[in-house]
Amino acid sequence: MTAPDLAAGTGARSPGYYLRLIGGQLRMSVLAALQYRLGFWTEGVLGVVWSALGMAPLLVAVEHLETVEGWTAWELVVLTGCFTLVSGLFGALIQPALNESMNHIRRGTLDYVLLRPADALVLCLVTAFAPWRLVEALGGLILIVVGMIEIGRVPAALDILSALGMGVAGMVALYAFGVMILCASFRAVQLQNLTFLIEAILDFARWPAQVFRGFLRMVFTFVVPLAVMTTYPAEALLGRLEGSTVVTALATSAGLMLVARVLWLRALRGYTSASS
Amino acid sequence: MSHVATDMSGETGGLRRLGRVTAAMWRLGASEALAYRAAMLVWILTTTFPLVSLALWHSLAGGGAIGGYGRAEFTAYFLAAFVIRQMTASWVVWDLAAQIASGDLSTLLMRPVHPLLHHLMSNLAALPVRMMLAVPLGLVVLIFVGDVEADAGLHLLLAPAAVLMAWLLNVSVQIAVACLAFWVTSSASLFELWLGLYMVLSGYAVPTGLFPAGLAAVVRYLPFHAALGFPVELTIGRLSGPEIAAGFALQLLWLAVFGALALWLWRRGLRVYGAVGA
Repeated sequence: MTAPDLAAGTGARSPGYYLRLIGGQLRMSVLAALQYRLGFWTEGVLGVVWSALGMAPLLVAVEHLETVEGWTAWELVVLTGCFTLVSGLFGALIQPALNESMNHIRRGTLDYVLLRPADALVLCLVTAFAPWRLVEALGGLILIVVGMIEIGRVPAALDILSALGMGVAGMVALYAFGVMILCASFRAVQLQNLTFLIEAILDFARWPAQVFRGFLRMVFTFVVPLAVMTTYPAEALLGRLEGSTVVTALATSAGLMLVARVLWLRALRGYTSASS
Repeated sequence: MSHVATDMSGETGGLRRLGRVTAAMWRLGASEALAYRAAMLVWILTTTFPLVSLALWHSLAGGGAIGGYGRAEFTAYFLAAFVIRQMTASWVVWDLAAQIASGDLSTLLMRPVHPLLHHLMSNLAALPVRMMLAVPLGLVVLIFVGDVEADAGLHLLLAPAAVLMAWLLNVSVQIAVACLAFWVTSSASLFELWLGLYMVLSGYAVPTGLFPAGLAAVVRYLPFHAALGFPVELTIGRLSGPEIAAGFALQLLWLAVFGALALWLWRRGLRVYGAVGA
């Protein structure tokens, strides 16, 4: 590390720098994960099992109702695939980083993160990964493909593109929530359980957004956009997502990220390290 | 090692002392619960899962009753599930497993009361705070949803017993799993296995009565159902006399199994406990 690098502090850096940073952290996590191959079973396979078990309420609904708010069984498989993908990515990328950063904040070792010459928020969000959870994400992809084959629909390029766009928007929204939780943990200790809260809420993303009405529908579309994470990508693949919905969803996610960023900058000012 | 103090002067003095100590531990637990009320609120929010399930099934049942549950019955079921889950919650497994792993258990072992009593009281003492936070939440949801249908009869007198048994069952399972920490390093993650099954099989996410008939019959014999589904169904009055008797019998059976297992593991575990200075 050269002196000018340090002097630059958290100033603007090129995107390439951050890509290298993220790449480096990912490589470290993968190497560590490869050392603990038991993790394939305890994190990867178990993650898949949990996903499958969590399908039980949805299966019960399908058995009693045949279609859930207009979604046929195989369409629900595609939706479940989208959920499993998002849930795997959350477990692999967001959750470990959040837990690690919260530990830093609680113990006061965030100092070591803040001193590094890159944006503190980015550093916090890439501080740890759990690569084995990607097994679950892979399972989600397989479910999506199987569901689409059974339905017999080949999505157009535009459908795939908007599904990807919605998926990214959903992940951005999840990241925004993670950041807000990090901000809260500056103020109160013992908030580790907040990541469980995200997990518990995320579980409702298994259901088509249409089953929620009124107040909850608003919440799950604009405040905690579960719909953006799973229902919209699935609908895009099935070719029934409207363009206006895409725009609204993208705006919602961008708005959440902006709020999260502002909260983060405010929270960081209130950080008193271990010694001060 | 003997945990009951040897300086007891006779049986009655010992009992009175135990009462005093228990009361002191209750106060300790209650003030702890009050001190961390923000964390407690978050925990309660985490367990609002049944309330969202309520909204979900309430709207799904709009086209007619599903497996004997109409909209009003779903409301009653999930509200009861929410409150009873709060009342039977325990977190012994995380605390105890961490204490065994870190060696902090030694401090508890030095005290002249049974360490498990400390954990039981710290769980029980949080109950008033939990209820103060959870009951208003349940009431708001009830007003919001409006329709509810539950049978208010004599069975309500039995509900507290079923809830108490469910709590004891939860605690026993958690102590048993936590005691595995005497031998393995990650017993708390083993508990997540239990918790995952509990979520699906206890009637927490969906009433077990809605499972396919064959599966439901098996699931309703498992400890998960005894720990939540049975007290819930009893409270909202969906069970007949013989079903209630069978439910209590199953609760007793599972409590005996896991209670014995917990005590056995605890005793065996203490023998191999090798914390610094022990």
